[in-house]
Amino acid sequence: MSRAVRVTVYALLVLASALTILPLLYMVALSLQTEGETLSGEAVLIPDSPQWGNYATLFEEAPFANFIVNSLVVAGGITIAHLLFDPLVGYVFAKFDFPFRNTLFVAILATLMIPLFVRMIPLYVMMSNMGWLNSYQALIMPFLMDGFGIFLMRQFIQPIPDDLIHAGRVDGASEFTIYWRIVLPQAKPALAVLGLFTFIFQWNEFLWPLVATTTEEMRTIPVGLTLFNQEHFTLWHLTAAGSVIMFVPTALILIFSQRYFVRGIALTGLK
Amino acid sequence: MPLKTRDRSARFPRGLRRSRPLTLKARQARTAYLFLLPALVFFAVFFYMPIADIVNTSMHSGPQADEFNGLGNYVDAFDDPAARNSFVVTLLFAAGTTVGAIVLGLGLALLVNRPLRGRTVFRLALLVPYLTSVAVVGLLWRNILDPQLGILNRLLKEFDLPTQQWLNTDPLVTIIVITLWQIAGYTMILFLAGLQGIPEVYYEAAYIDGANSRQRFWRITVPLLAPTTLFVTVMAVISGLQAFGQAYIITNGGPADSTDLYVFHVFNVAFRSRDFGYSSALSVLLLIVIMVFTAVQLRAGRRREVQY
Amino acid sequence: MSRNGSRNTPHNGSRAPASQPATDPDPDPGPAAGPAPGGALSRRRMLALTGGAAAAVPLAGCGSGAPDDEGGGDGGGGTVTVYWNAGHDYAAYQKVIDAFEKKHGVTVRMQKYQWPDMRTRILTDFSSGNVPDLMEEPGGWTQEFALSGDVLSLQDYLDRDGAEMGYPDDWQEAAVRHNAHRGKAYGIQLHQTCSLLLYNKAMFRKARVEPPTTWDEVVSVGKRLTGGDVHGIALNQDQSYAWPWLLQNDVRLYNPDGQELLTPRAAALEALQFQADLVHKHKVSPVPTPGTDYSGPQKLLSAERAAMIVSGPWDLEPIEKSSPDLELGVAQVPKGKKQSTILAGTSVFIPKKAKHPDLAWDLIKRLTELRTEVAVTRDEGMLMPRKSWMKEPVVQDDPLTKAFAKGLTYAEDPYLDLYVTGKYGELSIDLFRTMYQGIVMEKKPVEKAYEQYVTAGRKLIKG
Repeated sequence: MSRAVRVTVYALLVLASALTILPLLYMVALSLQTEGETLSGEAVLIPDSPQWGNYATLFEEAPFANFIVNSLVVAGGITIAHLLFDPLVGYVFAKFDFPFRNTLFVAILATLMIPLFVRMIPLYVMMSNMGWLNSYQALIMPFLMDGFGIFLMRQFIQPIPDDLIHAGRVDGASEFTIYWRIVLPQAKPALAVLGLFTFIFQWNEFLWPLVATTTEEMRTIPVGLTLFNQEHFTLWHLTAAGSVIMFVPTALILIFSQRYFVRGIALTGLK
Repeated sequence: MPLKTRDRSARFPRGLRRSRPLTLKARQARTAYLFLLPALVFFAVFFYMPIADIVNTSMHSGPQADEFNGLGNYVDAFDDPAARNSFVVTLLFAAGTTVGAIVLGLGLALLVNRPLRGRTVFRLALLVPYLTSVAVVGLLWRNILDPQLGILNRLLKEFDLPTQQWLNTDPLVTIIVITLWQIAGYTMILFLAGLQGIPEVYYEAAYIDGANSRQRFWRITVPLLAPTTLFVTVMAVISGLQAFGQAYIITNGGPADSTDLYVFHVFNVAFRSRDFGYSSALSVLLLIVIMVFTAVQLRAGRRREVQY
Repeated sequence: MSRNGSRNTPHNGSRAPASQPATDPDPDPGPAAGPAPGGALSRRRMLALTGGAAAAVPLAGCGSGAPDDEGGGDGGGGTVTVYWNAGHDYAAYQKVIDAFEKKHGVTVRMQKYQWPDMRTRILTDFSSGNVPDLMEEPGGWTQEFALSGDVLSLQDYLDRDGAEMGYPDDWQEAAVRHNAHRGKAYGIQLHQTCSLLLYNKAMFRKARVEPPTTWDEVVSVGKRLTGGDVHGIALNQDQSYAWPWLLQNDVRLYNPDGQELLTPRAAALEALQFQADLVHKHKVSPVPTPGTDYSGPQKLLSAERAAMIVSGPWDLEPIEKSSPDLELGVAQVPKGKKQSTILAGTSVFIPKKAKHPDLAWDLIKRLTELRTEVAVTRDEGMLMPRKSWMKEPVVQDDPLTKAFAKGLTYAEDPYLDLYVTGKYGELSIDLFRTMYQGIVMEKKPVEKAYEQYVTAGRKLIKG
């Protein structure tokens, strides 16, 4: 890279990052403000004296520790399920030929096209009939896999050379071994992306936990945070403090997973 | 790299295209269905049963959705100016966000894919808006854009620049920009993963052949990125047509319905007007529209998919 | 969606919770309420556990009512589920609930929600038959759900206990009408508020003006106060804030006799035009910014960028907290053809399929006692629907509360009878917002916006 290009690239990235990092700074600033500061007409950017007590308030006023545990169990459980199921299904659609393949693929994609709240009432009735309301099953089961993850994995497994898979078959490996030993390792960047985004989606999910839980102790963080609002106005200092706490795990997962976006795929067996 | 011809046999994985006994094909299918079984059961139970219920509900009316109404809701939908308005708004929104997300996402991915010092930090920073809570993002933008008290107009005033009623004039453009700001990092990550999947070998070969960087981009990056691009495009269209939070958090569909996104509209029909029959019909119509869009894109994409 | 509950709206007010067809899924609503791990509930749970709940006192059947249907997997051995607004979790109510739990040996499970979430929740509940025993609602739902047959008529209870609790005589008349359907009571008003003129006393002093008492004065005073970055008045982006002006011009949203919307037409057009002119012609109000709440004007008042707003007591706390030094005045609304403003406030009702209607009724009686109302006003400044509450020192000795209490005497419910159309939400919110925002934000000709509203509304009512 020439020097001019490098400087331009840096300038662009610094500008873009400055724009995107704003909400985080603002969220932290809000979480340290007094209620009065958050309610004032002109937005306060830097609190007079940081109110660390806002974080304590969350735990004093509601079973916030429960909310955290619930969110971790639910989002974590769903993410693990996705990492198990989505690549397998994506692999089948990417590399196998069988009757009704395209029809089934579109049928699975179609599930992405119905907003959750439309399915919510039938799902709720189903959960209620199973006696699962207010349980982790109810929060996790309807989300074990989805079209997003399957489609993502199909697209990223497709470029994996068929010769690799064929070599496995020639060696007499079982179909599952081929998937587990050959295909999955090749798809690491995609798995990292899948895990990251699945966790983010589920971590922030609001509507389903709202209707599927019937006691406060079973709420997840986004639903639990609504407890802190008044009838006619939002208690932004507490909402923001909760949001900062919510930000931590997703940021950790991002930091952890981003290593995998970097490594190119080693093309064993083709060189 | 032979591009796919359009005869059916080309769809078989390449390794199997030589002397293939029939049993192999049957075995393939058996394995495929075995692997698919959990997924098929899952989608049937958690998606298709509810969807069947929705289709059934869409033929009823009343607060309990228990009065049979045939196709009445569908007829109403075509004669409903509010539904039509929200559909047009949503098409514009989806077009803007899809094009923007691809351009921005790919551009940023190419930048942070370079061997730069500190690129990790940039990658993390660019994804921040996607990780922060929607509620806080909504408040942040309201505080930035508020015409009287907003930060943006205050800054513009400082420098004697013309101020704007950001959410009153061109509100749709405003929420498209906010959305792009929020999802640029997400599409960047997807493209980044796609770029990482392109074997270095090709670039090395092209380099030896004396291709310049522009040629390398158009002849290697773009075609080999096709699966990722297809994914990003299809998903951007689907989520653009299903956008909800922007209206729910920032504009409430205003001013006067100019940001009344379709799904937000359907949500209000369902949970505010309690007309589950009509909201189900509107959802089924959206489902059909998105399916058409997606099928077209998949077909176009399949032609471009490259076999290694 | 479960399709039981054929629409049998009760004509005779007969309570039929126990004789509900048992076609509903009757799932276990959750594990027994154990001691809550930390949080606001634990103190009460401790009380409940030590205070005799564990002794499993048989439920006291309330007088002549049918005994409670104790069937169904009520995992808590007598758990009464209550949906409540998260902002109304007042200590005074908590005290009432503690006493109630002790008396009946039950556990009250308070599920606290914000209004939109509560609506999502209850509509989902109605579809599955899994409903709470008692719920608070923000106004209008009682009648809406009474019409759809989801609410239990309280008439039998009231026939028995009305005299003792002072219903309906001690409630503001509007509050009683607001919760009635076909001549029977379905809900009881819990809180009652209205919108008045909130103004910045210092600004008024400086401009040497008094709070306006007529529409003309609103314009002239507004002009005096407008200058630089400051506007004389700030209109709200939320459509319900159009109502004080419309009501002052004697406009009704729905006239059940002629099935007409927004009549009389000339008066409605005049009131809408007046609001449009404040923004576009006189420029004494900024163009409202679309949004999801109605805090815009309050923020402008707090930031001393607007001199007056028309709003309710809910804005007092944010103003007090964000601008403690602001000299806030509360004045009665200006008169149009008459003096009027919008009435608001929450009610409580018992869903028809509630498992413990008798217990829920007993809880309603306790929550709406005069001493409870007084305690909530004392602690929270909330306004109440009882006439006898008006005379209490806690009301009369506080100038702001007193002003709002006076407003309650002439405030009106703009949506009276609208619920019978079954299109409450579309007519009072969606279509109405399109009209209002078109007028004040987009400079749309008033008559055109009005006609579009009426045409679309008529079509809806005809079905």
